[in-house]
Amino acid sequence: MKFKVKTIWRVKRFDKLDQEANKRRCDVAILIMFLFVVTFCARLWHLQIIQGKHFREQSERNRIRSVRLQPPRGKILDRTGRLLAGIKPCFNVCLVREDVGDMEALLAKLSPLLGETEAEIRPRLGSEQKGPQYVPIVIKRGADWETLSRIESRLFSLPGVFIEVTPARKYPYGSIAPHLLGYLGEISREDIEKERYKGARSGDMVGKCGVEERFENDLAGIKGQRRLEVDAGGRLVRVIDEKPPVPGKDLYLSIDLDLQQASEEAMKGYVGALVALDPQTGRILALVSSPAFDPDAFATGINNEEWKALNDPVSRPLQNKALQGRYAPASTFKIVMAAAALQEGIVTKNTSFKCTSQFRLGRSVFRCWNWRGHGQTNLYKALVESCDIYFYQVGLKLGIDKIAKYADAFGLGSKTGIDLPNESKGFIATPDWKLERYQEPWQEGETLITAIGQGFTLVTPLQMACLTAAVANGGTLYSPIYLEKITGPDGHIVKSFESIPKDKLPVSESNLRIIRKALVGAVNDKKATGKQCKMPDVLVAGKTGTAQVVGQAKRRQDDKLDWKYRDHAWFVAYAPAEKPELAVAVLCEHAGHGGSVAAPVARKVFETWFQIQSPLPVLGHGKTAFNRNNIDDHV
Amino acid sequence: MFDRRFLEHFDWWLFLAILLLMAIGFVNLNSGSAATGYPFQWKQLQWYIAGTVLMLSLVVFFDYRLLTVYSVHIYLIMVFMLILVVFIGKTVGGSQRWLSLGFMNIQPSELAKIATVIILSSYFYHDDRPQYGLTDLWRPFLLMLVPIFLIYHQPDLGTALFLVLIFASLVYMARLQWTSFLLLLGTAIATFPVVWEFLKPYQRGRIMDFISPGRDPLGAGYHISQSKIAIGSGQLLGKGYMKGSQAHLNFLPEVHTDFAFSIWAEEWGWVGAVILLGIFFLMLYRGFLIASQSKERFGAFLAFGVTAMLFWQVVINIGMVMGLMPVVGIPLPLVSYGGSSVFTTLIGAGLLLNVGSRRFMFQKGPRPK
Repeated sequence: MKFKVKTIWRVKRFDKLDQEANKRRCDVAILIMFLFVVTFCARLWHLQIIQGKHFREQSERNRIRSVRLQPPRGKILDRTGRLLAGIKPCFNVCLVREDVGDMEALLAKLSPLLGETEAEIRPRLGSEQKGPQYVPIVIKRGADWETLSRIESRLFSLPGVFIEVTPARKYPYGSIAPHLLGYLGEISREDIEKERYKGARSGDMVGKCGVEERFENDLAGIKGQRRLEVDAGGRLVRVIDEKPPVPGKDLYLSIDLDLQQASEEAMKGYVGALVALDPQTGRILALVSSPAFDPDAFATGINNEEWKALNDPVSRPLQNKALQGRYAPASTFKIVMAAAALQEGIVTKNTSFKCTSQFRLGRSVFRCWNWRGHGQTNLYKALVESCDIYFYQVGLKLGIDKIAKYADAFGLGSKTGIDLPNESKGFIATPDWKLERYQEPWQEGETLITAIGQGFTLVTPLQMACLTAAVANGGTLYSPIYLEKITGPDGHIVKSFESIPKDKLPVSESNLRIIRKALVGAVNDKKATGKQCKMPDVLVAGKTGTAQVVGQAKRRQDDKLDWKYRDHAWFVAYAPAEKPELAVAVLCEHAGHGGSVAAPVARKVFETWFQIQSPLPVLGHGKTAFNRNNIDDHV
Repeated sequence: MFDRRFLEHFDWWLFLAILLLMAIGFVNLNSGSAATGYPFQWKQLQWYIAGTVLMLSLVVFFDYRLLTVYSVHIYLIMVFMLILVVFIGKTVGGSQRWLSLGFMNIQPSELAKIATVIILSSYFYHDDRPQYGLTDLWRPFLLMLVPIFLIYHQPDLGTALFLVLIFASLVYMARLQWTSFLLLLGTAIATFPVVWEFLKPYQRGRIMDFISPGRDPLGAGYHISQSKIAIGSGQLLGKGYMKGSQAHLNFLPEVHTDFAFSIWAEEWGWVGAVILLGIFFLMLYRGFLIASQSKERFGAFLAFGVTAMLFWQVVINIGMVMGLMPVVGIPLPLVSYGGSSVFTTLIGAGLLLNVGSRRFMFQKGPRPK
């Protein structure tokens, strides 16, 4: 043992040559090591100093997630402060793709939880272009409680998934005036680029059409932001800071909830529009376009079938027919004609023509709607019984240029100026227009049919409501307004809206009185066309209209005619005649006669209005608030 | 028989570097532990203390020359432990690497690094030639092949390749013929496609990630991306101790082991990272110096082998976390958490100090009185 140990100690030494070779090798090794250390220092310099700022930002973004805080959207209320559109929480299942990891595994887990197939969910994940990976994507909007609780309880095994609460619209009285209010829908890709939607991102809900769109910036409020520190799994570590959202402003409409509801009820079953205004101010009290649509449907997504129904070419539920529907005014145009004739001195209130139901012009025969004829007819009778022959004569004497001038002065053929997009101008034909359009001169026969509101003339129900209001209030044509005021979330008034007088009718007060008296007769007289709107306690003034859709030859009995060939029914009215509070224009497409269809609709609106104004009848049965034998005193 | 010259030749600089590395390792692990929620640093402190005691006793009570004989025993024990791993090893994270001793788990593949250095040094000491050709190398290569295969089988490709690096380093020290060198290089390049076929998909993935780290930022390249963000975001002076958001919010994986350098660089910035590199440089420089100054062949090989082992670990680990090398699980000596790694490093350091301190025994001239 001892020997062995001795030999172990006796290791061979280097000779001189080996010693030097050894040193050389170690020196080379030291040099290589030195080069590595220098390379590493340089690499560190590159990462930490040159790219340091970039990496610092990346690490900040890594840990700081900024969450947008949605402000509650402003409420929409009626003129008395009743809530038309409020807010409710809407629970969305969202996804941050950056945090997901294995997307396929997640989809497999999510699919049964959402109760939808993977193929249904996948398109919502979006493509690469749908913004950066860290921007959340909504994969299920408006999830119900059952789905929510299923997902909430498994959230830990669903990386990248979270539940977001956004404000959604709630309609306590159901869908009210959807065409006026508009609806909320996901922002479109084109809109994101626009300046007025600055800060919006894919998946945000914005106002579409109507008030919601027009006052988007007031209603939306200002988004807040909460910055969170999260760990690698996207889990919250702490809240860094918070900028609270500014709630949206509230809009008080001039709409009256009760009147609106009654109007919608009255229009149910008809395709058409109804506008009710305060004739003294031009405030819209009810605005109906029928059929309505469900604004909630847009919030949760619409399937193909629903979309087809909304775009039905016959009933056109998405079109606001009060502003955008264009119809021949028919006999309601006789109001304009009568005013023009009186003002131009073509007739006086005593001038009369004989109606034999036929009017010859050259080789053509123009008929009155009453095949028996009206006999001797003066202005009053012509309006009350809506005699066509009388107005043929008047039209011929006035000439098309004067007719066009007065139509224009009554607000037809141009926008009423309501503060909503896509309002239609309607149309008033002139000989110049016809020459340019058809390269044909104006025919006198065309003047005749223009005089009874047929032919080229097209008006919107809103225009007719404004016209009626102007006649009722003594000649002031208002631009209709639908807003009372905008208030901040604390209730202070940010802006209030005054009525906008647009024009004065070029008709003297005495001439207007003649027309108003005739309009009262047109509802209340024995042979009145609008007598279905007659009310026991209130004096209503109005004018019916039945717009032909096809030529006389094709017209037969209404109930045998194809729906699309039937007449449009018009009725314009105001009440009480002595001190007008409400002006109404009703149009029912292809519904038949104005007197039998549109007048009862208007009557329901008036009934509701006066019920609201004076819920307890002050007058006993059989008594009226006015003396029918002395109408002149009232009008 | 204590000799005053022993103290004179003791490498205080190397010793200082080791102590500094342990201090930094502990401080850094303290932050890493806070990030992961496990108190790694206290366990590591135990390894440090036990390892330092082992290191110093190796220096004082052991003469490295004994290893010229006992290297064979050490080699056999290593192979036996590696075989044991195959049968009773503990599986963690998909690979079977650990042996459970009850109070601690040891990782034989870590200890195999130092054992390989010892057996190869011993071999080249006994088989002394001025130059080596390929025919002279097949026996040491066979010696290596056994642990390499066993470790590759675990699977731990990184450590297996690491043993090849140690072998190559010692062959360099032993002087390889140029012709043989070129032949080896040519063969390596030629066989690469074959090797590629044998790699497992995740291993190929790592190499692909190294070549283009951005190809899948959320997949396998994620770790390197996050590590680069951590290091880069440290900027000049760092985010401050315990304030490394990348590490503390778990964006960085394995902050206590493989990515220990990243958290250090994130919290201490360029300055801290360069200081740490400087300390490593000091350690390695002294190591190579000991090899260079050794008066006999075995000591020179042993010192060079141990230093090369430490050198490659530092290069591979730091190179990896900075995105200069593929992801391989090689710990950073004394800074990464792990008992086996700490022991391996400190045993190696003990041998280095041992060789350095015993230099005088071969000096010519009379013994000083």
